[in-house]
Amino acid sequence: MADHSSQTQSFADQVRAIPGGEHLEMCYSCGTCVSKCMIQQKVEPEYNPRRLLRMVMMDMREEAFESPTTWLCSACDLCYPACPQEIHISGVIGAVKQLAVEAGYESPLETVSVDELLCSGCGICVMSCPYEAPHLVEKEIDGVMDRLSEVDANACMGCGICVGACPMGAIARPGVANKEIREQLDFPRQNGTPRMVTFVCDWCLRADADVALLESYPENVQVVHIPCTGRIDPEMALLALGSGIDGVLVCGCAPGECHYQRGTVVSSCKIGLLNRALEQMNMGDGRVRFVQIGTQERGRVRSEIDGMMEHLVAWKEAE
Amino acid sequence: MVDASRHPKVDVRTFTEVERVEGFVGNFKVQLREKSRYVYEDRCNGCGECAEVCPIEVPNYFELSLAPRRAIDVPMSQSVPLVYNVDMDSCIECYKCVEACGELDAIDFGMEDKFVWEDVGSIVVATGFDHFDPTAMSEYGYGRFPNVITAIEMERLNNSAGPTAGKLIRPSDGEIPERLAIINCVGSRDKRFNPSCSNFCCMYAIKNAVLLKQAYPDIDLSIYYMDIRTPSKGYEEFYNRARAMGIRFIQGRPGLITEDPDTGNLFVQSEDRDLGRVTEREYDMVMLNQAAVPQSDVDSISSVLNIAQSPGGWFMEYHPKLRPLDTPTDGVFLAGACQGPKDIPSSVAQGSGAASRAGRVVHADEWEIEPVIAAVWEDRCISAKGKKCGLCAEACPYGAIEYEEGKAPNIVTAKCHGCGGCVAECPHNAMTQLHFTDAQILAQIQTLLADKPEEKILAFRCHWCSYGGADLAGVSHFEYSSNERGLRVMCSARLDADFIYEAFRLGAGAVLFSGCHPQDCHYITGQRVGAHRAERLLKRFERMGMTPGRFRVEWISAAEGEKYARVINEMQEVLDSLPKEELLEEIKTMRSDMAKRARRMRQVPQIEEASDFADKIAEAYRAREPQAV
Repeated sequence: MADHSSQTQSFADQVRAIPGGEHLEMCYSCGTCVSKCMIQQKVEPEYNPRRLLRMVMMDMREEAFESPTTWLCSACDLCYPACPQEIHISGVIGAVKQLAVEAGYESPLETVSVDELLCSGCGICVMSCPYEAPHLVEKEIDGVMDRLSEVDANACMGCGICVGACPMGAIARPGVANKEIREQLDFPRQNGTPRMVTFVCDWCLRADADVALLESYPENVQVVHIPCTGRIDPEMALLALGSGIDGVLVCGCAPGECHYQRGTVVSSCKIGLLNRALEQMNMGDGRVRFVQIGTQERGRVRSEIDGMMEHLVAWKEAE
Repeated sequence: MVDASRHPKVDVRTFTEVERVEGFVGNFKVQLREKSRYVYEDRCNGCGECAEVCPIEVPNYFELSLAPRRAIDVPMSQSVPLVYNVDMDSCIECYKCVEACGELDAIDFGMEDKFVWEDVGSIVVATGFDHFDPTAMSEYGYGRFPNVITAIEMERLNNSAGPTAGKLIRPSDGEIPERLAIINCVGSRDKRFNPSCSNFCCMYAIKNAVLLKQAYPDIDLSIYYMDIRTPSKGYEEFYNRARAMGIRFIQGRPGLITEDPDTGNLFVQSEDRDLGRVTEREYDMVMLNQAAVPQSDVDSISSVLNIAQSPGGWFMEYHPKLRPLDTPTDGVFLAGACQGPKDIPSSVAQGSGAASRAGRVVHADEWEIEPVIAAVWEDRCISAKGKKCGLCAEACPYGAIEYEEGKAPNIVTAKCHGCGGCVAECPHNAMTQLHFTDAQILAQIQTLLADKPEEKILAFRCHWCSYGGADLAGVSHFEYSSNERGLRVMCSARLDADFIYEAFRLGAGAVLFSGCHPQDCHYITGQRVGAHRAERLLKRFERMGMTPGRFRVEWISAAEGEKYARVINEMQEVLDSLPKEELLEEIKTMRSDMAKRARRMRQVPQIEEASDFADKIAEAYRAREPQAV
């Protein structure tokens, strides 16, 4: 690998030298990547991978380091299989980010933090993170050497998968802390209709009409927005069912399309196991459901929520 | 087509395929398989009574499966000849058609394919192209969303002789769309499918849009594109006319199409490059402008005609600029999209050109071929003695050598282009090349190395490239070592390993093995044969412990005079860096090994006479000039 700290290399050459950054000059600016990217649509209109590649090609170093594209890309790779020039776009963006961090820039994202007193050093967060942000380090706490998790804020994408994975509840992220989610599970009964809580990840509903649809449901359908279904702790589902909520529906991205790479793998396993446990306890009535919605499946969320509600109505009557 | 079928000198054989081609330019023998229609061509009058009574309906390939055909039917009402055919895969043999045909008695279920041989002088390949199937691009939903269709399907809908009599309707509900999107480059310029540009589709999209706008003036049309390529005469003006008609052009390749399951409407998501924003727009129908791809049977055509393919599967022309209608096989020509996607004016121009070139063959009494051809000494060939070989046939880029086990190879003289690769490949020196025999070349080597061979740099150059490069070095006055001695062969494939061994045996200081760059070889794959041999030689000399740089392999084009001079000078530096005693010692040590490896060359006819002749020349040379120190 070339020495990318050398001053004689152009910015484009430096990016190209980092694995993943090759072939960026092949980009002929078709814009396919931008149109596939969820971030541009949902979070940041200035987010534009095509433009970032252009900045790199034109050696616009500072603009590239300051561009939101560099920091928000979660390497979900919806763009890569669509690129007609087969450029690993998230690889190029990652290379720019690496150079930016080396140059002293910091991530503007809302990242997680570890409570050192609660952390047991088990390392589950390290295993669950798609971005290798947490690391186990040796640290002195109250005069004793301890092994703790420490999160690299520049690598953390704020998905919350580690928050849900941590058995000690030691990791928190503002906005999706356990307490904040618990509060949303406390909603009133509505005469005799079943109550259900729907956890929806921020990325699985591409169509704005589908997102708007969620708000149109009456109060017996409570919608909780989470960055990724990987954030779901089975305990939340149990808490919901225990407090009298009739059903839990979790909506995430389709396999291979998870915005945080493997959040849905984690959540499908956890919810699958939960459902198996519920069955063993003779509580397996299909009241906890995990559905994965593809980017092309416009309108599917409505049929899933309606379907779940029908199921709950039938179950309630059978009780 | 009707005119062609009626022309007294044109024989149109439809429903017929080429099975085998033998022979050579001016003298081809072609085997045709006239496939059975189960209908007599000379009896059927195209009345269509049979199709009317046929109970079986299957998709019609001509209508791109948008309309049905009967088991007995004709592809389209203007077919030439207007003879019906039976699709035996779907026919249930109820014989209702035979009844309907009545007295004409044109239908015969007992018909079989007929094989005939024809003598032809020249062949023109005009097999056209096929359409990319966008099902593989899941992001566009073709095949799942009914209102996403391909451009060619749209053409059938828009065609007044098509399945809807020219009415453009939505497949999902039969309504006429109010908003239509056309997406360009579906499968083209896409490394995942076809990296090449399909040439005509920009014009094709604009043409379709203009036709639709003329038929439905209120229709809202958008064309999504990456670039608009309208290079030929009148094309840019046509593009402007489309804009003037109100057709919208959006620069930005859509990444996704989604469907509203209730309405069947489609949402096209693309970055609008001019706005710098992603937009999602709703359409009633989307037309995918699919790529042009080679026909699925190009491999079998290549093998039947012995013609090569360029990357992508398009048939390879002799030279992309200088001979775009010829193939390397004399007498076989190319026309139209099978040589590479192109539009109608270009195809028609190529058709005229190919006809002219094919006509030259047919109207000539004699055909001039290369005089520098290969020949076999059958008494030296080991295949003739029953052993398995065939290395000569493998080396030939033109398929000019007919090889059968147990026999000496037969060289089809008319196909030989004179690269000499077979001659050099033969491990038993059983072949020779007219005007470039082993004896002639050896005599040159011997003469050039007659005096102070250890000081000489012997350069083997191919006629078309490296010889030209050396020549350019000369006329450009690039200075290079005067110890260089050059020797010409037609192709680097001709450079027998024995020449190199012999040169070193005779005491050459350094030897250069040079030829064209791989993509430039005049004999297509000759350089590949030479390169392979050169690599082996390099490894062998390395193992023998030869000083690196004494044997060098370089590919030098006719434009690279500077490179030629530089390479020779570098080789001179290698010689200069070696003390003379060491060099002589190295030459002496390796002499016997070199002699052993080149021993078969000594048995080649006329070698001894040539060697004697070379000695005489060297003597005469020494006698004329005062002895150089």
